[in-house]
Amino acid sequence: MPPRAERGPEPLPRQLHTTLSAHKGPVNVARYAKGAAKYILTGGQDRTVKLWNANLGTEVKTFAAHGYEVLSISVSHDNAQFASSGGDRSVFVWDVGTAVTTRRLAGHMGKIHVVEFNEDASVLASGSFDSTVRLWDLRAQNRQAIQVLEEARDAVQTLHVGSTYITTGSLDGHVRTYDLRKGELRSDYMGYPVTAVVPTQDSQTLLVTTVDSHIRLMDMTNGKLLNDFTGHTNTEYRCRACFGHGEATVVCGDEKATVWAWDLLDAKPLQPNPPPKVHNKVITWTEHHPIEKGEMLTASADGTVKVWRQAETEQPM
Amino acid sequence: MSSRLKKKLGNLGVDPSSARANESFCLIGTPLPPLEKSKDTGEFVPLWKQDVRDEQGRRRLHGAFTGGFSAGYFNTVGSKEGWTPATFVSSRSDRAKKKASRPEDFMDEEDLQELKDGRDVVDTTDEMDLAGGMKTGHGDDEEQDSVARALEASMLPAAKDSAGARILKKMGWRIGQGIGPRVTLRQRKLQDLQASGRRVVEADIIVPDDEEATKHTYAPRDTPILVVERKDNSHGLGYHPGMGLSESVGGGRNGAASGPKLAAGFGLGALNDADDDDVDVYDGGFAQNRNRTAYDITDREEDEKVSIGGKADPRSRSSAMPASSTQTFHDGKPVLAGFVLSDKPVAEDRWFPLADVPKGWKPDPKRVWDKENSQQPDGPSQTAPEKSDKWSRTGISADQRGSLLGETPLPHAPRSVFDFMSQKDRERLQNIASRERDGPTADSASTSAPRPAPLPSTITIPRTDPHIALAALRGGFVPFATNPAKQARYTAYLESQAPSDTPPPPPKPMPGQSVDEFNKELEDYAKAALIFKPLSGAMAGRFTSATIVEHGPQLAEGLYTPTAEDLARKDAALQKAEEEKVTPKVHAARMGMYGPMTRETQTWQPAKLLCKRFRVKDPNPPPEVPTEAPPASAAYAEQAAGAASGAGWDQFTAPSGDGTGGSSMASSSGGRRDLSNIGLGEDEAQGRDTLTYERPAMDVFKAIFASDDEDSDDDAKDDNAEEPPPLPTVQTAAAAPPPQTTPALDVAMPDAPETGVVDVGTFKPTFIPREGKAKKDPNRAKDKKDKKKREKVLVSFQEDEEGPLQISVKDRPKKKRRKDKEPNDKDDMWVEKPAPDVVKEFTIPPTSSEPPMAEPPPSEPQALKGRKRAIDFM
Repeated sequence: MPPRAERGPEPLPRQLHTTLSAHKGPVNVARYAKGAAKYILTGGQDRTVKLWNANLGTEVKTFAAHGYEVLSISVSHDNAQFASSGGDRSVFVWDVGTAVTTRRLAGHMGKIHVVEFNEDASVLASGSFDSTVRLWDLRAQNRQAIQVLEEARDAVQTLHVGSTYITTGSLDGHVRTYDLRKGELRSDYMGYPVTAVVPTQDSQTLLVTTVDSHIRLMDMTNGKLLNDFTGHTNTEYRCRACFGHGEATVVCGDEKATVWAWDLLDAKPLQPNPPPKVHNKVITWTEHHPIEKGEMLTASADGTVKVWRQAETEQPM
Repeated sequence: MSSRLKKKLGNLGVDPSSARANESFCLIGTPLPPLEKSKDTGEFVPLWKQDVRDEQGRRRLHGAFTGGFSAGYFNTVGSKEGWTPATFVSSRSDRAKKKASRPEDFMDEEDLQELKDGRDVVDTTDEMDLAGGMKTGHGDDEEQDSVARALEASMLPAAKDSAGARILKKMGWRIGQGIGPRVTLRQRKLQDLQASGRRVVEADIIVPDDEEATKHTYAPRDTPILVVERKDNSHGLGYHPGMGLSESVGGGRNGAASGPKLAAGFGLGALNDADDDDVDVYDGGFAQNRNRTAYDITDREEDEKVSIGGKADPRSRSSAMPASSTQTFHDGKPVLAGFVLSDKPVAEDRWFPLADVPKGWKPDPKRVWDKENSQQPDGPSQTAPEKSDKWSRTGISADQRGSLLGETPLPHAPRSVFDFMSQKDRERLQNIASRERDGPTADSASTSAPRPAPLPSTITIPRTDPHIALAALRGGFVPFATNPAKQARYTAYLESQAPSDTPPPPPKPMPGQSVDEFNKELEDYAKAALIFKPLSGAMAGRFTSATIVEHGPQLAEGLYTPTAEDLARKDAALQKAEEEKVTPKVHAARMGMYGPMTRETQTWQPAKLLCKRFRVKDPNPPPEVPTEAPPASAAYAEQAAGAASGAGWDQFTAPSGDGTGGSSMASSSGGRRDLSNIGLGEDEAQGRDTLTYERPAMDVFKAIFASDDEDSDDDAKDDNAEEPPPLPTVQTAAAAPPPQTTPALDVAMPDAPETGVVDVGTFKPTFIPREGKAKKDPNRAKDKKDKKKREKVLVSFQEDEEGPLQISVKDRPKKKRRKDKEPNDKDDMWVEKPAPDVVKEFTIPPTSSEPPMAEPPPSEPQALKGRKRAIDFM
């Protein structure tokens, strides 16, 4: 355990465990696998998706089929398949074992910024530059989208598919929650282009990253602002903020290649403040390990993905 | 034919071999329909089968439910909706952008095709070269002689022939020839002579004694086309510039032009002989004579030398030809024969270099105007004579000229009385008249109007009635809002006219303003005061004038050259407008007041499949087709409960709300998906037939199941004897418990389809009688028991010895077996599978007072169903 005796959030894992640097350009996205999350999937500007062993830092596989940059990856619940999307305006669903695409879902008119499975990987949601969200059926052989959500007035940058709702964040400054149970669409105006939405486990609150260098914790039920996390720099790029372990902290890598952490409750930046620079370029993706306490990864435009661990949890996994 | 019949027939005296005897009168079976349906085009087709198609076979009219008259989409005009709906937006700024729509925008392809066809026709006529080869026949163009024409014909691109010309050419016609059958040389000469209008003298028609010439026939002479020129000069009719007096009188007619006016046409008919009779008798004889003498000299051959017929102008030719030989170009070369030097030099376009714009020059038209204004004072004096010079050449009026010439003046219009009045009297009269006409206020204008135009040197201040001036002053009307300075002067003028103790000085002309202008301005003021006279009297008190005087938009003269501060101001205004445009939502978001202000909620319909995938119930189920449940259930209720209750479904369910089973049924009438129809799937109508199923008459069952054997006959007899009593029992029994039975039935309903799906191989239909029948003599049933036991092989579905009477139908459905009726037994229902768990929970609440009879009704449908199935499978 860290030396901090007082009750408080876990400190951020600051010790570099390994660097994954096989991408030949900016890394746009890095996702942990589901389950024990021992693997990392990264997608980059070099049109490939790479599978890494997070512990050893070795590249396991390269998935190359994209003709354009890879902007988003989503791993299915059973780790058997994953979906990726990017500049080539179609969503690729991959079989992890054979490294071939099982489906290519075309229909979007622009580059697809985000793709996300639902809980049982029966539906795939993709949000695109063409300001639509398309929901694809993965059960049936039908290649047409089940439904197209066209409410957004600008590019859809991020979305999250919950058990009974779909939350999208768009550059028009709105976070839209499509509630399937109530048959209701709730649009929350954030005022600034939304680049990332990450809900808490209980689906009650939502972490919204906007390009005005703010990360806001919103109450999903009434749209009220619960907390506002500032200090970092995020004005141009999609810098995804995420929750730390146990949702006690909020972590975000910013455009100055530093990783910020805040206490979820009092919204104060954790020490060290300001944080040290850990990458050469803007950090595009930050993701905390879904289960493990002291592990997180950052992907950066400098072409590397770094896995961070706490100094104490050095034991091999 | 059998031999017996033959014999019989033979006995009767009928020849058995005759065709009549062999005629067959019985038709066996139904004749097949004719192989081919006869195609009857005039066949009656019901209205709903008829459809209207246009000439291209497209459907134009659709039924009212399939779109009505459709002009769009399939027969498309543009969009699926037909005409693209356009919203009319009135916008002053976009007015210029509005595109005028052409008729073609509203045409469909057929119309366009028609239009195109029409255009094609026009085009062919346009192509026609009317003047092709014929324009040259006109005698007016002196400059064009044969060589020039030939040159022109060779140089210019061939004119496109019209269709008619092409046909003619195919028939052998050539440009320059006339139309008609070919003629001999003599006839042609005759024609020439006739066309020239000369008397046909026999000597003229002497054909030159040329072998070759007489051998051939010639095309007739071309008929010249009369080209009527546009008269765009101011000469009199028939006058040509340069004509002398004698020529204009008629002496100038040359020989070619003059002649008897004969009908021009294609050739000459037999009747059209150019005799003296045809000659215009009123034609001046002297002129004719002179003509002849003057132009008989001309060689007739000249006419023929011109290859292209028509009236050549010998005069011009003779004048031009000699000149051509002597003329030389300026460089000494002789002019080609047949060409004439133009005496008008070719006008050259003169181009001037652009003026250099001096540095720092600014467009300032005001300066120019000022300059003009400063020069103005001496302007009028200059322009006055100019004007007169322009309009009359000599500056003398017609009257003046007449007096100069000593003419008696032309009679005037009848003189009026006013002419004899003095000037002052006239004025006075007019004043009075106008006062009466215009009311009390019009006098000032009228006083100035009849006065002779004031001399430009004196300032005349038109008078405005004091009270008008006062009212105009107080009225607050601002006629010259755009020009404050002028408005001030107007006010000053009014003040000068208004009654006051110390009258202000009369208005003075502005520096640099001519007296004329000033006078005019003052008159304008007077008129303005009159026109904009304020409301008088009582009306005036009802209105209040605006406190803020609106001066119209300030118009800057000259080119718009915005300054930096202008731009800055504009930016600021824009920014401000933008800020004002910010919605409360945006404002709230900027202020960080997230919540209800920034949240918008709207309904959203997730796709059905999406709900399925997310395992969520459809939040807004589509409006269901009005269910037939109420009538069906009502029908059942009536059937089950008889007319006694006469109640609908709702009345059944309402009291059952307290029961455990009933509570779940409470909403069953709504057709919703709930416990009542679990297992029914999506089809709500499923299982309904079991509810509405009417039990067939007993005879039917007998006909099917009863055997012909003696013992069963006995049974049947017994049945018949006992038939009447049971039925009423059933009904009464069913009538008693409706509240409880209906839910039970409903619960049991799901079973129906399950039981309905029966494997044919293992199916063992069981006949379950109504309890009324079952209730009948148990002893008797017991009697039959032995028999039943004996034939146990045949009994298929028999769980309980004590079970109700069952009729098993198998390969030998001979017997009805009866057993003791076990009142409360559920086995008499056809249940092959145990009821679903859900259903089990909703068993009928035990009612203490319930007689055992109460149970059967719910089972009846099942039993009936079973029976029905039995029939089906037989």
